[in-house]
Amino acid sequence: MTTTHEQSPAVRADPLSLPPQPVPDAVTAPFWAALAEGRLAMCRCGDCGLWLQPPLERCRRCAGPTRFADVAGTGTVYSFIVQHRATVPGYLDDLPYVVALVELDEQTGLRLPARIVGIDPAEVRCGLRVRAEFTELPGGDFTVAVFRPVDGP
Amino acid sequence: MSRSLGGAAVVGIGRSPFVRSSGRTTLSMAAQAAREALADCGLTAADVDGFTCYSTGDSAGPSQVAHAIGVDDLGWSLSVLGGGNIVTSTVAGAATAVLSGQAEVVVVYRVLGAQTRYGRALERVEVDGEGQFAGPHGYLVPPQWFAMFCRRHQYEYGSTAADLGAIAVQERDHAVRNPHAVARSPITLDDYLNSRWISEPFRLFDCCYEIDGAVAIVVTSAERAADLPHRPVHLLGAADSNRFGGSVDQWDDLSCMYSRDTAPRLWSRTGLQPADIDVACMYDCFTFTVMATFEDFGFCAKGEVGDYFRAGRATYGGDVVVNPHGGLLSEGYIHGLNHHYEAVLQLRGDAGDRQVSGAETALVTSGAGPFGGALVYGTVAP
Ligand SMILES: [Zn+2]
Repeated sequence: MTTTHEQSPAVRADPLSLPPQPVPDAVTAPFWAALAEGRLAMCRCGDCGLWLQPPLERCRRCAGPTRFADVAGTGTVYSFIVQHRATVPGYLDDLPYVVALVELDEQTGLRLPARIVGIDPAEVRCGLRVRAEFTELPGGDFTVAVFRPVDGP
Repeated sequence: MSRSLGGAAVVGIGRSPFVRSSGRTTLSMAAQAAREALADCGLTAADVDGFTCYSTGDSAGPSQVAHAIGVDDLGWSLSVLGGGNIVTSTVAGAATAVLSGQAEVVVVYRVLGAQTRYGRALERVEVDGEGQFAGPHGYLVPPQWFAMFCRRHQYEYGSTAADLGAIAVQERDHAVRNPHAVARSPITLDDYLNSRWISEPFRLFDCCYEIDGAVAIVVTSAERAADLPHRPVHLLGAADSNRFGGSVDQWDDLSCMYSRDTAPRLWSRTGLQPADIDVACMYDCFTFTVMATFEDFGFCAKGEVGDYFRAGRATYGGDVVVNPHGGLLSEGYIHGLNHHYEAVLQLRGDAGDRQVSGAETALVTSGAGPFGGALVYGTVAP
């Protein structure tokens, strides 16, 4: 994976044009590597099975070793905002856009912040069932998981 | 086990002007506030042996500020990394330093300059840490986080825009009587509802007023305080709570905040309850922060804050006066240390036009989301 310093000429060209680019570290890199392959994988304890977000090198409950494991990519909108004002770079042509905390089906309270696509912002509700899909992060070096409403549970 | 902070008192308060854009350095403003706080209590640089501040790495440090006002040697200097969440710990830490003999007179300050504006991050092109999961989705700054909290509260308890508006209108009404406040024009509920969306459900008037300025307070022992010019303001107790590593995304229940855990701890340590509080300086980075924490501290049930404010219970003549200075929403955002300034002014009886009659106890809260704290000041040592 390229570093964000190598990708930053485009960012420098117009600092507002691209959303913030992730800077993976030794623990989070597998999350981004999985997304690049079209998989959503989360950090999980190899001993007790606890899912950990943000990822940790060792489990906070039992200190067991962790690994990244694929998740189903389905979840529920726990809460959401409709962003009307440009306060963060990127997506300025998409205002207003929706960001939700999606609670993944694997574990109560296991949440990912993500854009919600494919629905009118006025129709989004807490409790909405959603499914992950993969899209290139503007900037070209990363893939992100956004979520789209699905029918039924 | 409960050990009291009551042997410590706040004896001096100082501040720089609060302005939208000062053109001044953080060192200049912090030094001014520290000098004023010492002059307020009749002490000089020669009396000071402790200095502490909290910051997000955006401020002149304690040793610099102490040096700038003429302190030659600090026996106790502590720079704390944190924001609104850490104010209580910092003030209580200063009191602890005094009570344990690490220092005799401690200046606590916070300064914010033009380089610090938390409400937007248009220059952030790369994000590490936990922000790497959120930033790429255009989700990175506090108004977005706490709008997320607010939405969940609306879902669970049916709170409304009008409820948030009642808080914004009340605080602005208080600021009208505060010459130091940056926003003193009254607003109506219609003004609130017509203000532009920022991060829905937050509008402009849900967000605090980010400014330049500095506040300093002087903490010393109750014994020494007895010889100083002002009525001492005693620390009656403090409590904090920190969960989920500060993660706003993973915090378990977005309809409440750290105060869910801090409140019982604080009331237990002080032996007080909400009905004992005369002035509540509620940390108000956003209107919703007041809503959630006010409920959590037990002033009313979940979902009832709007009715409470509309009934006049949060202002003069009501149950408790919330943010008589106008809070961070209207006096201005000095990261919550201005709440301590106001609490001291009120308990001295020196708040002028906005004096809360007979004020003897003040709750000061700090922080939002998964971490924060609160302390209680009183006119009588415990
Ligand atoms: Zn484990």
